[in-house]
Amino acid sequence: MTVGSQGFVVLVAVTSIAFPLIPGVRTRQAALAACSLAFLASFIGNAATWIALAAFLSSGYVAAKVLRARPRTVLFAAYLAALVTAFVWIKKYDFLADLLPAALLTHPVAIVGISYMLFRQVHFVVDSMQQQVSRQSLWDYINYQLNLFALLAGPIQRYNEFCESWSRLEPLPQDWREVAAVWIRILSGVVKMWGFGAVLLFAYEKCHTRLIGLAGGAPNDGAWVVLTLFAGLFITYPLYMYANFSGYCDVAIGSASLFGLALPENFDRPYLSRNLIDFWTRWHRTLGFWIRDYLFIPLYRFVAETWPRSAAKLAFLCYFVAFVIAGVWHGTSSSYLVFGLLHGIGTSAAKIWETLVIRRRGRAGLRTYLASRPIRALAIAGTMGYFALTMFFFADSIEGCFLILRVVRAAISGLGGM
Amino acid sequence: MDGLRNHVQDVFRSVFGDETLVIQDATTADDVPGWDSLMHINLIIAMEKRFGVKFATAEIGRLKEDGQNVGTLMQVLASKMGRIQA
Repeated sequence: MTVGSQGFVVLVAVTSIAFPLIPGVRTRQAALAACSLAFLASFIGNAATWIALAAFLSSGYVAAKVLRARPRTVLFAAYLAALVTAFVWIKKYDFLADLLPAALLTHPVAIVGISYMLFRQVHFVVDSMQQQVSRQSLWDYINYQLNLFALLAGPIQRYNEFCESWSRLEPLPQDWREVAAVWIRILSGVVKMWGFGAVLLFAYEKCHTRLIGLAGGAPNDGAWVVLTLFAGLFITYPLYMYANFSGYCDVAIGSASLFGLALPENFDRPYLSRNLIDFWTRWHRTLGFWIRDYLFIPLYRFVAETWPRSAAKLAFLCYFVAFVIAGVWHGTSSSYLVFGLLHGIGTSAAKIWETLVIRRRGRAGLRTYLASRPIRALAIAGTMGYFALTMFFFADSIEGCFLILRVVRAAISGLGGM
Repeated sequence: MDGLRNHVQDVFRSVFGDETLVIQDATTADDVPGWDSLMHINLIIAMEKRFGVKFATAEIGRLKEDGQNVGTLMQVLASKMGRIQA
């Protein structure tokens, strides 16, 4: 069962009616914890995974406790290195095949949602070390990590924020109108995922299969057909991702609210972004904010404090590094590295462009530039196109992408020869 | 708080390189062109130097969230300075 499936929605409908009738916060917490555990268990197939998961999560809690009492950067760096190494090994990143014996990579550990757990864990440890966690409790922490509504694909909630609603667990909708609004949101999320999303994915797969077939020597209907197929592939995947992921978030956020958990919003009209920096405050926002807070800020802070005179120039490098890491976090193959590299380039370019505008026109000129509607429209179109390019690599293997690009190049050459 | 606001405004003007910049409690990142994540950290680092305080990573992020403004920033700053003076 997954969030947004028929079974999930029916279960939410039934249990959310009974849930508020359970007396006492502790009892409601125990009931929700049991649901989260059952949900998690449906994805875990062996004892090794349970043991690895317990070790992964408990290490975060222990590290947070130790670092709260003794906030030492060296200790934190050592723990972070160990945690990331464990993560890379559990996920079996492709590059490990060149570094480790095959026997070490044939382990049966497969932890669902571990990428999200990693980011939540780093946040919890850092904030504990900096005395920003209001109360450390193993019970709260485990439930924060394993909360069924955010387990599979976020949103990446912050610990203090989770504890605020977890400590009450009273349904958020106050009357039948608000309950109706939540259900409209859940059902529209289902339609986005399984209606629009399914149609867009079908269209993408049709275009993809045709183009790969052409690369393999299937009969060609002409250059324009190839270019139309490529345009279809280019447009449908980003739209599919939006329909699927924002629909998923609608179901997750809406369902969680019926049980008293307030999850953060994850989307804010991302296809109206005027550059990639803006984009990451609108698309998968909780990931964008996590990258900003736990990758970009520490990196740039280090740079600005160590080399204050070169900070402005090195800032572009910080954007680049932060987004490359975020890209690699998405998956284990090299196509995610390309996805990250393109986002690193895109965010750095956005900042360089803004710096150039300020240099040429001053702050007042930047204000006029940002207020211009034609420029805004061009910027939005450019950002959408660039994001679609990054998703082209996100959706396929590197080999698949290059096969398709070869077919497209041949089609363009054919047009030139007409 | 007015004295603090004047000092904070000086920091804003220096960081954004705009001597005409005027800040109010209600001023948000949307009101100041170019107040993105990078400038936000530049602001925080400049505040830390000017007022001798330290912001945690989570605080820096929170101050950039929707609904936050210069007033919130000054409140956090004042509470940190109060802690130091106490």
